Amino acid sequence: MTDRADVVFSCRDLHVFVEDREIVRGVDLEVRAGEKHAIMGPNGSGKSTLAAALMGHPAYRVEGVIELGGERVDGLPAHERARRGMFLGFQYPVAVPGVSVASFLRAAVSARRGEEVPIREFRKMLAEAFETLSIPKEFMGRSLNDGFSGGEKKRLEILQMLLLRPRFALLDEIDSGLDIDALKVVSEGIERAAGPEMGLLLVTHYQRILEYVRPDVVHVFMGGRIVRSGGPELALELEERGYDWLQPDAGPVEAAS
Amino acid sequence: MPLDEETVRRIATRLEEGEAGVAARLRALEVYREQPLPRRSLHLWRYTDPAALMPDGLGPLPAEAGGAPGPVPGRPAAAVLLRPGEHPGIEGTLPAGVTVEPLDGGDPRLGRAVPEVRGPFEAMNRAAFDAGVLVRVAPGTAVEGPVWIRAASGGGAFLPRILVDVGEGATVTVVEEHVGGAGGFRIAVTEILAGPGARVEHVPIQRLDDGARGHLTVRTVADAGASVATSFVSLGGTLVKMDLGARLAGEGASSELLGFLLGGDGQRFDHHTVHRHEAPRGRSDIGFRTVLTGRSRSAYTGLIRIEQEARGVEAYQENRNLLLSKEARADTIPELEILNEDVQCTHGATVSPVDPDQAFYLESRGLDPVEAERLIVGGFLEPTLARVPGGVRELLEPVIAARLEALGAGR
Repeated sequence: MTDRADVVFSCRDLHVFVEDREIVRGVDLEVRAGEKHAIMGPNGSGKSTLAAALMGHPAYRVEGVIELGGERVDGLPAHERARRGMFLGFQYPVAVPGVSVASFLRAAVSARRGEEVPIREFRKMLAEAFETLSIPKEFMGRSLNDGFSGGEKKRLEILQMLLLRPRFALLDEIDSGLDIDALKVVSEGIERAAGPEMGLLLVTHYQRILEYVRPDVVHVFMGGRIVRSGGPELALELEERGYDWLQPDAGPVEAAS
Repeated sequence: MPLDEETVRRIATRLEEGEAGVAARLRALEVYREQPLPRRSLHLWRYTDPAALMPDGLGPLPAEAGGAPGPVPGRPAAAVLLRPGEHPGIEGTLPAGVTVEPLDGGDPRLGRAVPEVRGPFEAMNRAAFDAGVLVRVAPGTAVEGPVWIRAASGGGAFLPRILVDVGEGATVTVVEEHVGGAGGFRIAVTEILAGPGARVEHVPIQRLDDGARGHLTVRTVADAGASVATSFVSLGGTLVKMDLGARLAGEGASSELLGFLLGGDGQRFDHHTVHRHEAPRGRSDIGFRTVLTGRSRSAYTGLIRIEQEARGVEAYQENRNLLLSKEARADTIPELEILNEDVQCTHGATVSPVDPDQAFYLESRGLDPVEAERLIVGGFLEPTLARVPGGVRELLEPVIAARLEALGAGR
């Protein structure tokens, strides 16, 4: 038995169903404080379903155990998971017309804290975070994600992660649709937000972002399962050899770490 | 009292009108008598029984108009209070070029935008309006701050009438706020004449009491190059029909109608909008949004009519309905009548619940479902709120917040 005190996130025997279809077929994960994990897999492998289900998306039926900081959260709605420190960076952040970025962020930070954040403190936090992510200040007054470019949306996701200070963050294809400059900015933001306290799970299709955000553990996800886990070298291997050499039905392989 | 010659004479006497006023009112009374209630087969009346809006008796009423309605917010150029059977109360120091005065039944401009043949409610108001105000803005005058007209009554029938005559190149904002009216009927008519190049903002706000019924008609006539921006808000009453529109009578005129309603349990709303393009190169836009909770209902009929000579026109119409409960219901019929081919015209309508993707996105950030819904609804109303003049937003925000609060408590 290893010490579980520093496990910020775990799931055991997780199955996810969309109506009667089983999309995620038995996943075990354990992420410790300060660790960065990457889940890599081909398109259609169920990665995004896994991420949304972990966050508590109401469209999915979930079986298995999900724990955040040793506390079970699988029965909780999304907002309760968020308040306890789980964060999902969306692959496709949703536009909410008429709701300004600033008023949304204030509501989110207040919800996470459990009390209204004072306006002066909030303004200061906001200004710093915008600076870090190189987002122009005008965006504070714009409608949330409405008419934003792909890169702008992704930066705003990371900005939210910075402000909300999660214990465990899931980032779903945060690298998709980013050019190399935006990828650098986003990666720096992730590094800044992810301190020694936070656990991180990057869901990605490509190895590219892992050159900037170095993972400790890489999992290969195929056919609704983790088929192999290893160190950062596994990502490079996938880059060279693709996914075909891994058999989705071979069953999970013990984690290398 | 019934609507007859004696009643009409009594109202005119009470408002100290001369023979011209009495004569014009009596002519309208004839029109009223000759008009049957509209047929339900017409789209305009398909969803609402006109008989349910028709008062069974008329004033003049005792002047106990349901308590003092309180001060007008913001910094209006003038605050006008209309009460049944009284001359308007007018406060404020008006700039040169603007006059606000009692409206006389004999005013020759009456009926230019809303003729009495429009329908029985319009004819009834023309014959028997029991409070009226005339706002005149001289050519070239720009008025700072809104002229804020508040129509307040207790029960019974109240027939207020507003006439706004804006001279060439002048600029003015008029707020028309309907309050009170519990258990009664509000039959209102507003006419706005926008001279060449005039810029008019009009903000009708319906926040009648629970139990009030009403029929509110608003028409603007926009001369060449005039622009009219209407921002309308429907919140109150039990059964209220609002009929809004503009005639784009001169070349290059424009009209924008943006508005919303927030319907609570048991309320029924019926809105009609019309943009009638009579001249070339006009532009019009309609954006009407409804948010319905409980067992509330909204019916909307919208018409864009483009006459043969009105070439090069752009006209848009959109109605979006957000249903926050399974019992709420929205009906929508957008119509186009286009008599020439040189136009750009679109229309659309949607009826849907809150977008679950938006809700999940907000909830994934820690907002509970009620907060998330409130934020989404607030955003949905924002296009209208963003452009109302100073004071109106301050008036509406707490009303809207209270409505949305009640919504959360009802779960």
